[in-house]
Amino acid sequence: MIEIKNISQSYGDFHVLKHINLTIQENKITALIGANGAGKSTLLGVLSRLLVPHEGEVFLDGVDIATMKSKDVAKKLAILKQTNQLHIRITIKELVSFGRFPHSKGRLKDEDYQKIEEAIRYMDLSDIEHKYLDQLSGGQRQRAYIAMILAQDTKYIFLDEPLNNLDMRYAVEMMTILQRMVKELHKTIIVVMHDINFAAAFSDYIIAMKDGEIIEQGEIDYMMDKEKLDHIFDHDFCIAGVNGRKVCIYYNQQTEIVQGENK
Amino acid sequence: MKRHKYIYIFLVISIISALLYVFLWMLTTRYDLFPSDPERRAQMARAIRNITQRKTIQLIAMVVAAVLIASTSLVFQTLTHNRILTPSLIGFDSIFITVQTLIIFLFTSKSLFYTNIYINFFISAGLMIFISMLMYALILRKNRNNLIFLLLVGMILSTLSRSLANFLQTIMNPDEFQSIVIRTEVSVSNMNTGIIIIAIPILIIILGLIVKEIKALDVMTLGESQATGLGVSYQQKMNLHLIYIAVAMSVATAMIGPISFLGLIAVNASRELLKTYRHRELLILSSLIAITFLVLGQTIIVETGYLTTVTVWMSLVGGLYMIYLILKENKA
Repeated sequence: MIEIKNISQSYGDFHVLKHINLTIQENKITALIGANGAGKSTLLGVLSRLLVPHEGEVFLDGVDIATMKSKDVAKKLAILKQTNQLHIRITIKELVSFGRFPHSKGRLKDEDYQKIEEAIRYMDLSDIEHKYLDQLSGGQRQRAYIAMILAQDTKYIFLDEPLNNLDMRYAVEMMTILQRMVKELHKTIIVVMHDINFAAAFSDYIIAMKDGEIIEQGEIDYMMDKEKLDHIFDHDFCIAGVNGRKVCIYYNQQTEIVQGENK
Repeated sequence: MKRHKYIYIFLVISIISALLYVFLWMLTTRYDLFPSDPERRAQMARAIRNITQRKTIQLIAMVVAAVLIASTSLVFQTLTHNRILTPSLIGFDSIFITVQTLIIFLFTSKSLFYTNIYINFFISAGLMIFISMLMYALILRKNRNNLIFLLLVGMILSTLSRSLANFLQTIMNPDEFQSIVIRTEVSVSNMNTGIIIIAIPILIIILGLIVKEIKALDVMTLGESQATGLGVSYQQKMNLHLIYIAVAMSVATAMIGPISFLGLIAVNASRELLKTYRHRELLILSSLIAITFLVLGQTIIVETGYLTTVTVWMSLVGGLYMIYLILKENKA
């Protein structure tokens, strides 16, 4: 279980996170939503010890993450940031092998090779495992990174906007894989995302942030509410029902206002 | 393995160039090395032994410097995620020249600071380490991790100190100026070999420390957040490596003089040949290439009667290679 107690973070005078308290439920996909600059990525960074919070603690299975060794954290928790610009030529298999680093310290044993192969197979990359990353499509590259995270073999997986730069088909495919990972491998996944409909369709729990605070959280049905979403995003939404699922529509822009401003 | 063939090739080449450096003079000398007169023969044997010994020590010095430069350049490029940077950009070369100039300007070339090679070595290496540490502390603490900013400040500082040195050199008397030129040119022939006794342990320690972290360096190529996610304490490792770099570059520069391009050529050539991210192989090959370059260059210069210096031919080749690299990176 991950518990967050009274986390605050600021860049200069700007308070990105304001006294956040949160408990992440296990064995679920939790979506972290909110407008740009709401503090989602910063919260994820603090959760995964990439950022040191100015105040507060993060407890990973009851242990304060700040007191743990980085390599021990890496055995429990894996994170994938949104920008993965690599300037080295590396094959999928080599990339996935990096996932074993916290366990093997770079000396791969039989068990490590087995995990690497499993991860590659799970992400359906076996045919192209010797291809270089720069030869892959965006979707394949994202899958390769997820395979690395899988090879890391952690209970918790944090993903920062994994759907960025993916077209609809790949985005759906990615989310389906994440669902499978939760169901079959019993992972606990936290995903930062923008698209509210993706969050509603594939996650189990939604946490909404605004101006560095958590303003709403709950199950999908509870969260897919016009008033709540309007408040979260400062935007005029329209909630519709499709196939028994709630979908929100956000293109109904106040065209008059925009035109008025242009004049 | 096919990839390792370059390592073997350069191993052979560097051994050949080492042998050439130590023994080639025997073939080209105009003296009869084995005269029939027993007395002269013994004299000659002694001379041969002396020269060989001196050349061997010079060779060791070059090897030590080459390995120090190549390995730290490799690590530096990993830390900066940039293939066309070398640690000399922090300004080790300029600081070295300025220190030498200041010593002679303030204390003349007859002072102990200049004539005693150990004191001189400790002053110049010590100052270089001190200044780079000071820069790390001031710049990196404030702008966490901003290596590029560090380099910018380093470049400004080195330009400034080089201008200062130039200024002092123009108002000096010519004899003193000559002493500076002797000291600040990469010159294996002028170097006092006693320094090796200090440099070898430093090389072994630094190389040991880098090799210990070599797998973590592989992970660090993935970038800070990914490396941290995989359990590498990035910040801490980066600071440590920067200290190794400062020490190694200072020792290498104080030992054989300013030699900017060597690291760039060696590391890039080995990346080009091996096409891998693995530091273990890159470290071995770039060290071998650096040795080859330095030793072979010095051999050629000695055999051509010191027509030029190693720096000149290193800068010529290195400069051309740098232009090629920039053009290539630009295209990609």
